[in-house]
Amino acid sequence: MDRRGFLKFAAGGTVGLVASPIIWNTLYDAVYWTQNWGWIPRLKKGASEYLPTVSKICPSGTGFLVRTVAGTPVRTIGDRNNPVTHGAITALAAAEAELRVSPARLKTPLRRSSDGAYIAITWAEAERLLKEKMQAAGSSVAAVSGDPTSSINEVLSSMLNQKGSSDFYFMPGDEQPAALAWEAMGGQGRLGYDMEGSDCILAVGAPVLESWGVVAANRSLFNRTHPVGGEATQKFLYAGAVQNNTAAGADLWLPMKNGTDMALMLGIAHLLIKAGKKGFAAGLGNFAAFVEAYTPEKVSAITGVPSARLEAAAKMLVEARRPLVIAGSALGSGGSAGPVMAAVALNMLLGSVNRQGGMLDMPFPVSVVDHATEYRATIAKRFVDYTQSVAAGKTKAPAFLLVYAANPVYSLPADAGMKETLAKAGFTVAVASFMSETCAQCDLVLPAALGMEAFDDVQTPYGSGRVTYALARPVAKPFENARGAGELFIALAQELGLELGVKDMPELLYKHAYALGAPFRSMMEEGKVHVAGFDLPASPLFYNWEAIRLAASAPGAEGDLQVAPVVVLGMGTAQTAIPPFATKVVTDYQLKGRYSVAQMNGATAAKLKVKAGDLVRLVAGNNVEITVVAAIFEGILPDTVSLAAGLGHTAFDEFSKGKGANVLALTSVCREPGTGLPVWGLAGVKAARA
Amino acid sequence: MSSEVKEFKIKWGMVIDIDKCTGCGACMVACQAENNVAPAVDGSNKLRSLNWLTVFRLSNHKPFPDHEVAYLPRPCMQCGKPSCVAVCPVVATDKREEGGIVSQIPPRCIGCRYCMASCPYHARYFNWYDPKWPGDLAQALTPDVSTRMRGVVEKCSFCHHRFMKAQEKAVANGQDPMNLPDGAYITACTEACPNGAITFGDLNNPAHKVHELIKSPYAFRLLERLGTEPQVYYLSKREWVRREGDNYLEHEKTGEARKQG
Repeated sequence: MDRRGFLKFAAGGTVGLVASPIIWNTLYDAVYWTQNWGWIPRLKKGASEYLPTVSKICPSGTGFLVRTVAGTPVRTIGDRNNPVTHGAITALAAAEAELRVSPARLKTPLRRSSDGAYIAITWAEAERLLKEKMQAAGSSVAAVSGDPTSSINEVLSSMLNQKGSSDFYFMPGDEQPAALAWEAMGGQGRLGYDMEGSDCILAVGAPVLESWGVVAANRSLFNRTHPVGGEATQKFLYAGAVQNNTAAGADLWLPMKNGTDMALMLGIAHLLIKAGKKGFAAGLGNFAAFVEAYTPEKVSAITGVPSARLEAAAKMLVEARRPLVIAGSALGSGGSAGPVMAAVALNMLLGSVNRQGGMLDMPFPVSVVDHATEYRATIAKRFVDYTQSVAAGKTKAPAFLLVYAANPVYSLPADAGMKETLAKAGFTVAVASFMSETCAQCDLVLPAALGMEAFDDVQTPYGSGRVTYALARPVAKPFENARGAGELFIALAQELGLELGVKDMPELLYKHAYALGAPFRSMMEEGKVHVAGFDLPASPLFYNWEAIRLAASAPGAEGDLQVAPVVVLGMGTAQTAIPPFATKVVTDYQLKGRYSVAQMNGATAAKLKVKAGDLVRLVAGNNVEITVVAAIFEGILPDTVSLAAGLGHTAFDEFSKGKGANVLALTSVCREPGTGLPVWGLAGVKAARA
Repeated sequence: MSSEVKEFKIKWGMVIDIDKCTGCGACMVACQAENNVAPAVDGSNKLRSLNWLTVFRLSNHKPFPDHEVAYLPRPCMQCGKPSCVAVCPVVATDKREEGGIVSQIPPRCIGCRYCMASCPYHARYFNWYDPKWPGDLAQALTPDVSTRMRGVVEKCSFCHHRFMKAQEKAVANGQDPMNLPDGAYITACTEACPNGAITFGDLNNPAHKVHELIKSPYAFRLLERLGTEPQVYYLSKREWVRREGDNYLEHEKTGEARKQG
């Protein structure tokens, strides 16, 4: 080949190569395969539907539309037609479609084998085992439910009653101390709060915009009373140790030391009486004399709230037309009755009881299942008294213990005796949707369907000011082998020959709807929610100043530092743990890698000689020790550290397990003076650099 | 690539009332679920996790007890003069469609991250790892938004697929797709906010609420004086919150840039 021929060949080859698809295809493949990943998710195609129902994992029973694509839930969207939540949705309920298929979701019944490992069994085996064990247990059966709004509780309590056991309990919540307090002050019905009718709300300790009461409804109310860019029509005050999410929405934040709720309210009562607010009732004289000592200066010294802010709060309440005072616990459980009594007394002084925008005497939910325990009686029972008694050997351990929709191993303090009760019980069963710490200790674990997968209901949750009734409808198939808990228990009762008076869940729900005069058909077919009217009775309330005085004598937490827990629903509940789609909502001032973050103000940090990012060891009075990362945040009282609740899980999945510390581990159970109620939530700790 | 502010007949925008936001995070959850953003095992690692929308906590920087707190949700600002568009070497991001939404085309992105460096709002995120939906989580993927791959940048699209759906619906109903009624198209975060802190609409359309809201004396935009002309506005009656929106000198007042602009 000559030179010219070579050049012709080279030029021809180059042109040919460029014109051919080889180079471009190779480049394309290189781009494709270097940016590709091993497993490519395929988007599901199909018809979209938006089906209304309510959440059963969100404690406020958020009403939402489940968007399904070809029958599979992919989104949950706030339901604007829901008359309770008005389209508001919580971070937890917004993550429910993803939680439905999360790695922690229980797929099939599990039985613990002799070596401690779980083996999958069929539903037929599980039901046979349940029947055998329950039959053999005779009257030595106990059950606890973590979902007080469900009719399924009636089925459980009826079964236990018919077997001769009265050991059916609700998990501790904010309602138990409130019910006790309301009764102590002369209330005859169920304590309710007409937040919607109020023009000025003072929430003491209760994070009403994040986790207390019917949160979605509270937020929706906040939305309606605070128009975008306009003037608010409702004033909102919050007292708590930390400038949390609720404080962020408040017109006035009262920085109150943990556990000094009563002193704060008694101080406000002092100022209200001085301002002439003296709602008359029996015991007023004694109460007024008792609060005489709670001067702003003294209250400021006890609570840490500057007296000017205390006076400003009292002024706002005095000037409001329909003020309302609410008390509750930061954790949502383990709270005392005393602060609620003080809140009732404040509302009485303000004339805000049994009127629009005040505290209300509401009817309790009714039971429609034969032999079931009434809601009112169940709420009065104390689960922790029972578990501590079993743990101490004072009460015989049950031969059969069932835990429904609850995770007491995680959500109760270590000395509540739950682990011991589970260990001593003959046979333990957990009916849950996710593999929780409690499931991991039970002999039989049964996968429960979520609210969007089975029939269930939401009867008026605590914190509401209206009687409401909503149905959870199966808008999607149960995940894998999960099954509706209601249907399971009803079938079990039938197997055991127990009389419930209902044959299935739809009939149970129908009976409830009928009792309330609710339109069952439109509720079932269209997901409508019923709001019932009720008459306000004239409760003979009185200032039970002696009970208040006793409760006010409770000692505070010991230790150099107070721990102020902060609950955020985005971190899920004890039953759900952190939803996979909410891990990013967890901030770097709540969790840093595997450590919980302790927020403290600059003065506290200087006192402890720590700076942001340092590892700090916290040692509680019960000798539990945790290591946390320090962060500086000025929205917190001196000598107080704030820790996020909802961390420190040892079960569930990679999205929750091994992250941070469980703040409840730092708390211990003690008894409230006067009521004897088991309380926790106050933790004093000693701190040192790790 | 232009250095001019791009104007359109329709300009989708957002007004976020910071005084109403309490930082619950429902908007972030809804955004991830709607747009198929993969979950992160350690979401507290803010350098490596992807968020099309992030809620920041603001402080007035005063010591206790005078401290105040506020929360600021930050989506993509959909700037009128987007600095990301100007630097993208492969036109993987652009702003040329009616509506004024800055687009992002992941398959075209080469992962150079110039856009991330140029975005003053840190609204862009890089896929450092393969996105993963462990177990059965992929069942909950929505059919509307393609999943992205490792090595590309992604960001908030104002739920652009909802815009397209709203237009299709308008056409099907015989209405003008270029004149959607207020509320016919809203983003997932707007829909999810339980406090109603986010208002969404056409900034140019007098029939839309946002058109009036942005005229409020309390309205401001982030880093307004950079001249990026964001289509996301914030509202706060608190002066310290408005000051957090830009780097003000002590003697400077908020709102001056808008008066001049």
